[in-house]
Amino acid sequence: MIESMHAVTLGHFLMTGAILFVLGLIGFVTRRNLIIMFLCTEMMFQGVAITLIAFSKFHMNMSGQTFVIFLLTVAAAESAMALGLVVLLFRRKRSLDSQVWAQMAG
Amino acid sequence: MTTLAPWISWFPALAAVLCGVCCFKPTLRNYAAPICVIGIFAAFISSLLVINGMDTHGTLHATAFEWIVVGDFVANFSYFIDPLTMIMLMVVTGIGTLVAIYAAGYMRGDRGYARFFFGVSLFVFAMLTLVLADNLVLLYLGWEGVGLCSYLLIGYYYDKPSAVAAAKKAFIVNRIGDLGFAAGIFFCYTTFGTVTMSGDGGIIEQARGMLESGYPVSTATLWIPFLLMLGAFGKSAQLPLYVWLPDAMEGPTPVSALIHAATMVTAGVYMIARMLPVFELSPYALPTVACVGGATAIFAATIALCQYDIKRIYAYSTVSQLGYMFIGVGALSTAGGVFHLFTHAFFKALLFLTAGSVMHALAGQLDLRKMSGLRHKMPVTCWLMFVGCLALAGFPFLAGFYSKDMILAAALQQGLDGHNTMFVVLAIVGLVTALLTAYYTFRLWFRVFMGPEQFEMGEDHHGDDGDTGHDDAHGHAGENVGGPHEMPWLMNGPLVVLALGALLAGVLGQHWIVDNVSHSTAAPHVAHGAHGADHGDGHHGSLLFGMDLHLAMQLISGCIALLGILIAWYFHLQNRAAADRWATRLSGVVTLLENKWYVDEIYDAVIVSPLRALARGFWWIDDKIINGVVMVIAAIPPLLGRAAQPWQRGQLQGYGLTMAAGIAILAFLIIVSVL
Amino acid sequence: MIEKLVPFQVIVPVLGAMSLLIVQHVAHKLVRAMALLWSLIGLAITAIIAINFDWSTGGSFETLVTIPWAENLGLEFGFGYDSISLCLVMLTSLMMPLITIASWSAVVKRIAEFHIWLLMLEAAMIGVFLATDIIFFYVCFEFTLIPMFFLIGIWGSSRRLQAAKMFFLYTFAGSMITLVGIIYVAWFHANLHGGEWTFGIKALTASAQQMSYHEQFWVMMAFLAGFAPKVPLFPVHTWLPLAHTEAPMAGSVDLAAVLLKLGTYGILRFALPMCPLAAIVIAPYITVLAIIGILYTALICWVQSDIKKLVAYSSVSHMGFCVMGMFAFNATGVAGSVTYMINHGLSTGALFICIGMMYERFHTRDMNQMSGLIRAMPIWGGFTVFFTLASVGLPGLNGFISEFLCLVGAFTARDVLGPPYAIVAGIGMIFAAMYLLYMVGRVVFGPLKLPSTEQTDKGGHVIAPAAKIADLTPREIGTLIPLAVLCLYLGLYPKPLLQSLAAPIETLTRPVQTALEQQRAERANLEKDASNTNNPIETIDATDTIDAAMKFNVTPDNTMTIHTLSADATRFATPVASDTMTIQSVATHHIAGVSP
Repeated sequence: MIESMHAVTLGHFLMTGAILFVLGLIGFVTRRNLIIMFLCTEMMFQGVAITLIAFSKFHMNMSGQTFVIFLLTVAAAESAMALGLVVLLFRRKRSLDSQVWAQMAG
Repeated sequence: MTTLAPWISWFPALAAVLCGVCCFKPTLRNYAAPICVIGIFAAFISSLLVINGMDTHGTLHATAFEWIVVGDFVANFSYFIDPLTMIMLMVVTGIGTLVAIYAAGYMRGDRGYARFFFGVSLFVFAMLTLVLADNLVLLYLGWEGVGLCSYLLIGYYYDKPSAVAAAKKAFIVNRIGDLGFAAGIFFCYTTFGTVTMSGDGGIIEQARGMLESGYPVSTATLWIPFLLMLGAFGKSAQLPLYVWLPDAMEGPTPVSALIHAATMVTAGVYMIARMLPVFELSPYALPTVACVGGATAIFAATIALCQYDIKRIYAYSTVSQLGYMFIGVGALSTAGGVFHLFTHAFFKALLFLTAGSVMHALAGQLDLRKMSGLRHKMPVTCWLMFVGCLALAGFPFLAGFYSKDMILAAALQQGLDGHNTMFVVLAIVGLVTALLTAYYTFRLWFRVFMGPEQFEMGEDHHGDDGDTGHDDAHGHAGENVGGPHEMPWLMNGPLVVLALGALLAGVLGQHWIVDNVSHSTAAPHVAHGAHGADHGDGHHGSLLFGMDLHLAMQLISGCIALLGILIAWYFHLQNRAAADRWATRLSGVVTLLENKWYVDEIYDAVIVSPLRALARGFWWIDDKIINGVVMVIAAIPPLLGRAAQPWQRGQLQGYGLTMAAGIAILAFLIIVSVL
Repeated sequence: MIEKLVPFQVIVPVLGAMSLLIVQHVAHKLVRAMALLWSLIGLAITAIIAINFDWSTGGSFETLVTIPWAENLGLEFGFGYDSISLCLVMLTSLMMPLITIASWSAVVKRIAEFHIWLLMLEAAMIGVFLATDIIFFYVCFEFTLIPMFFLIGIWGSSRRLQAAKMFFLYTFAGSMITLVGIIYVAWFHANLHGGEWTFGIKALTASAQQMSYHEQFWVMMAFLAGFAPKVPLFPVHTWLPLAHTEAPMAGSVDLAAVLLKLGTYGILRFALPMCPLAAIVIAPYITVLAIIGILYTALICWVQSDIKKLVAYSSVSHMGFCVMGMFAFNATGVAGSVTYMINHGLSTGALFICIGMMYERFHTRDMNQMSGLIRAMPIWGGFTVFFTLASVGLPGLNGFISEFLCLVGAFTARDVLGPPYAIVAGIGMIFAAMYLLYMVGRVVFGPLKLPSTEQTDKGGHVIAPAAKIADLTPREIGTLIPLAVLCLYLGLYPKPLLQSLAAPIETLTRPVQTALEQQRAERANLEKDASNTNNPIETIDATDTIDAAMKFNVTPDNTMTIHTLSADATRFATPVASDTMTIQSVATHHIAGVSP
């Protein structure tokens, strides 16, 4: 009974993923520092990854976990690139404020 | 030798191709004239051979090759030779050869020598196609083809804006008529189911059959003649489409002689004669033809009275004489119409060519007021023109006398026998025109050749090219120094032949023509109308002054011709001052006639200018309104874009928020759909 | 064996374009020579196919070669042709080397690119005519826009960007709707055949005829939305003058000679056979638009001072005849229409080449700045006059045949058009003479006046002295001679062409003809019923109906007016006895009965 109380269900995993995702989203929308914003997107990423692993585990389908391994690799590469870009942007304007990059304004 | 029949018209076509080659190689330029003359002469000889190989009054069908064949619409290069075609063949190739020989001398040293003969050869090809055509579409080819050659040759001196304008005018006015003609062809096709004219099942046979079976009047058969007529009026320069012909005198004089006097302009008369049964189907068609002919005859003659340009006088005279031919055809005397066509070809070609000689001698001078008494300088030309003038004036026993009389007698007879006042009026109009004709013809001749010798050289406008000609014996530079002189025999030779024709064509040709026409498609339907007379043997019902109509008419018109000549003699040789006095006294009328009744100005004001204004209006509509509407429609998407632009603020957070909102909406939708 | 060559008509120009892409940095002369070589190879292939084609039957438009594309979607590249397609392909392949030669010295910037786009354009245009698969057709039809867009936009004159944009938008917007129509037809076919999708033109045509009238009407509208601006038909024509004027010579020639024909070809190949019922109903309206186009643009031509614009507007006017002939639905009209496509391509294409040659010398198109050029350039003048006359529709040259047949077709088109249409359109013949002779009289004839060819910089200093005006070079003469010969040949001996076109035209117009005959029969039945029941005194019986249709009144006092001749009247006066009998044959019988 207790065991069942403490048993971790799919719901828990999904909830964790969703919280991570939403936290990341809120961070992305509210913060103006490019590096923080970038880290927030990473957080959203991990939220999705957790969801995938949870589905994989509970549905007994290994391809989800395989996928996450891939995802992590790609994320690593991507974060390297993204940080590089952020550095570049910083060098251009000497600022990490995302507001200074608004050329796309119509 | 009838196997030659399909190829008669192709000899000049070949000559045209060769002359065309000569145009591009200056070294070959001088070969163009012989090529052209030989080409036309070959057509003449081959027509003679073909006619010789045919039975008397026989007909011949020949097909060169197939042309347009779509479903049951068949129009081939097929030819039809009947006695009427024979007359036309003789006129076109005969006069064509003579004029080409004359032109070989006349045009010598001109820059566009080869181009000129290219045009003439092509013209003869088109004209022969026209007279030989067995179907209306091929006839239309010849019809437009002669119009093209006329265009090219009127605009021969392309440096002169007036010549270019005249050429354009000729083509466009002819096109107006041609549209009528084309519509006539369409109606013929829907009515008769074919465009072939001769033979069994051809239009003419069918029309004959309809005539014999009574009067099957229908809207189509009522309209066809009127539409075809419009084409004839355009080509033969009748009211209201005559305006192009006087302007056409901008072309070289041999062209005026061949195309605008002897052959092309008679195509309308030929066409009506050829399609006579179709015209008879409509009770109003031929009277209309006659009326228009009569009106044109006297109208043009009045204009000719007060012109000063020799060639223009002859041009109006041609319009007037064509009017006679239409009276003849309209009065069902196709023989008379064709006969006048035949004689007119001789004397009018002669008159134009002699006028050309005068012009040549005086370096392009054409103004009657600037020349006088040239008889000593140019004796041969003087007397050749005299013969031509006599024939045109209808002096007894010359060519014009017989043919004009035949037409007027026929008209009078139609009027008296058929109790048709209109034709009596037409005959009287014809007689008045005859008086005017005699007067203006001799006014010209007396002014140019008689009286005190004096002249002013013109500014020769067609020998002014730099690269050839001035070392030539007949180049214009030499003439300007030496004054007017007689033409060489290369030019006068053909004129003598034409003069002989003008003297004798009436006496000798009458029987031949009447006989031929009465055995062709142009023979009037015998049972038609109120009279049953056969035109062939000159036997008529009515009498005038107790005499046979023809005899009476000959007497009257002979007297009238003499009277006209006498008046001209008095005013323009005996007492030129009197003429000037009369002119000042009647200055209103004279100004009106000198300005040709202001017809050109009226046409310009009523048709051309409004049309141009309309065109400008259309252009404005196209440019501003239609394009504007399109531009407005094209402006909508950018506007929409601009409306949505403020949403795009370029903030990363904004994009994130939008994305989040999108996810939220999606999630909401999913949840709602699951619940 | 010959069949295998067919796709190469499309592939060869593409290969040519690719090869030029690779070698584009070699000497200009070499680039031009290669482009010429490729176009000549294309011409040779077309020639081989044409020689081996059975011209007497006219071909059947069966798919000869299939190249798989997306088979599970029913998509494939199907190649096939009949005499209509082949003639247009021949025109395209012939024009290609000619304009390559004609642009030899006219194009001086980005030469390789220029020829790449030209070759791509050729491939697309030939693809349109050879496609037996409607999606393949559509892809090619749309693809023509891209090369043309760049040809106008890069090598055009001053207002080229606007012209290119307008050209693209006009033709692109419409053809989007056409795609919807095509998909609807394919969907209809799939429904009919148990969900089996195909885009084969023959199969689609067969099933599309079973659509209801309303479906047909909307499909017809969808087709016209794409094809009418291409033709161009009256209210949607304004892109053409601008595009023509701004395009480089090669672009104008391709535009006039081939691109406009894509519209008429599309109407003939798809719109008429697929929507016969709708075609009959809209024929008078479309023809009225065509006639307005003929007269309206002809008048506009007359007041132009830009010579290229004049000829461009004349294209609109001329194509009106083409559309009118097509909507007459009879053998003469459609034959006239198809030959019009070819003849207009030859004569107007040649006129644009002539104008291009002049433009290359004087760098102006303003007719007020020049006059009497024949004095300075007699050979050029001769050719220009010749092609102008061909364009005017002078008998003996090619333009006449088609114009005349179109008019005959419209005149005799029972139940659809009729004499008034033909006669009003015929006024266009007068206008054509007016504006084209105005152009010739202005530019070719008259006193010599040359535009200044001096080039000055902004300060008025002469940077290039006036060039000596030379007449055409042998190269230029060589480009014009084949066109002149063809104009003359097709004018004097169009019979083989007309004969080979007869069968395909029969096939394409049969659905409309069948529908017309059914309508006639129905009307005759109605007529009969009416005369039996309603008021037998006022209604004429069947034999009199024939007479009325033949326009032979039996009694002279019959007060029949010209109105009888209009289509409306003949519509109700139809031979009952023999539906298949034509007016003409009945007329002949009638007369044979009357005359002894």
